[in-house]
Amino acid sequence: MAENKRAPGGGNTPKPGGNTPKAGVSAKDRSRQQSRPVSAKAPAKKSGPAKGGRGGGAARPPVKGKADARPKGPSGALMAWGAVAVVIVVVVVLVVVKVTSGGPASAAFTPVTPAPTGVVSAVTNIPESVYNQVGVTSSVQVSPPLSLSNQPILMLDGKPGMLYVGGEFCPYCAAERWAIVSSLSRFGTFSGLKVTASSKTDVYPNTNTFSFQGSTYTSPYVTFQAVEQVSNIPNGQGYYKPLDQITKAQQDILNKYEQPPLDPNATAGQFGYPFVDIGNQATITGPSYSPGILAGLSHSEIANGLSDPSNPVTQAIVATSNYISASICASTKNQPASVCQSSGVQAAAKSLASTAK
Amino acid sequence: MHTLRWQPITSLVLSIFGLGVSIYLTLTHFSSAVTLSCPAGGGVINCEKVTTSPQSYVFGIPVAVLGLVYFIPMLVLCLPAAWRSLNRWIHLARLLLSVAGVGMIIYLISAELFTIKAICLWCTSVHVATFLIFVVVVTTTPVVLSWGETIESADYVDAAEGVGSE
Repeated sequence: MAENKRAPGGGNTPKPGGNTPKAGVSAKDRSRQQSRPVSAKAPAKKSGPAKGGRGGGAARPPVKGKADARPKGPSGALMAWGAVAVVIVVVVVLVVVKVTSGGPASAAFTPVTPAPTGVVSAVTNIPESVYNQVGVTSSVQVSPPLSLSNQPILMLDGKPGMLYVGGEFCPYCAAERWAIVSSLSRFGTFSGLKVTASSKTDVYPNTNTFSFQGSTYTSPYVTFQAVEQVSNIPNGQGYYKPLDQITKAQQDILNKYEQPPLDPNATAGQFGYPFVDIGNQATITGPSYSPGILAGLSHSEIANGLSDPSNPVTQAIVATSNYISASICASTKNQPASVCQSSGVQAAAKSLASTAK
Repeated sequence: MHTLRWQPITSLVLSIFGLGVSIYLTLTHFSSAVTLSCPAGGGVINCEKVTTSPQSYVFGIPVAVLGLVYFIPMLVLCLPAAWRSLNRWIHLARLLLSVAGVGMIIYLISAELFTIKAICLWCTSVHVATFLIFVVVVTTTPVVLSWGETIESADYVDAAEGVGSE
């Protein structure tokens, strides 16, 4: 604290060469000439214009008087720039280590394997009572699809259509697939379903799910097209290896329904997974529920819980499924009635109607 | 030409910038209106992956909030009046805060590179601002506090005079 009292007072009083502050250039020159021999003891370090411009240190008696009592040590500036250099080196080392480290190991992803029969059976045969009991009531927050109005019904292969675009790595897609499989199974039949898990390194890692890649779906009411654009296998460049190619017609659908104004939450030019167009009557452009509720649960554990309407995971999946079913029913003219007139789907339809734009 | 002609204004502008981005990231963190989705055709640049990762919390506090906790006092400490202050504790506090800040960004960069495996450009802009503040503060504080060789103390005089006076 002593320095605080000293410095300003001393500084204001004895200006360098400063007994004649308006001495002009000649006075400065004289000062420089006088100070040159003095400052020669440490000429190189005094690089700042704050020092040289004032005529050197010789003309600062009060300030220097106390300062000279201080032991000389490493330059403060040297230490400071050393600290900056250390930080830069640390960051550079981190980046270099990251860049030069090998690509992800082959075990850095969950392989895609045929879905166990028991899992498929449990998901595609959820009791009607569970659908109706849950309706859209869930202890886990469930977001309804974005309900559209005045849009022509999406027709695919002569039937009302549903388009899914996603990626196997995507945890939000992982959560959504459980509801998509269960809902579509009320309108038709899946075959060739596979199981996998979302990326091990993304958010909600290892969320167990299905993969639509290579599966087929048949229904007298609705055509389902699924595009798994990328796998869950890291490509070594921060993303994942490609899988299905999207067709131009499918991309046109994304360009219209996953972009403003029909998707008011979207950013123009940006696309995300999952995207589900349900007959142009509703779209899903993000997770209907948090994949976090599936954390640590195996395929079998999730599937076996689907007969329990009090299970929070079941509630989230079934409520989402009812929303999807209600949206499908909006494009199939409420066919089949056994599904579309069920109380669970009706509850979802009522909820969607209240949010329609 | 005084030592502290550009440092105060530079640190102040950087602090304002960092505070602005931190406010944005904090609002994003707590906003329920944010649309969650996985990036289509994305890559290493994935802000959402970073800001929703477990590493986005330190000691249970969102990192975005910690950004506010850093930049608000830093902005105050980088006001011209604070730079002019003769209270050495103000300069020490600025130095310690800048060191803490740069330590934090080293942790966050390593978390982004090795744990999250994604980079958030908004976060990176804050990191750059924090680093530049560190550079300004750590290279100026020894001068202001007359550390090192004796001649430095004379600069403090110039510095104290120079800030805001030219």
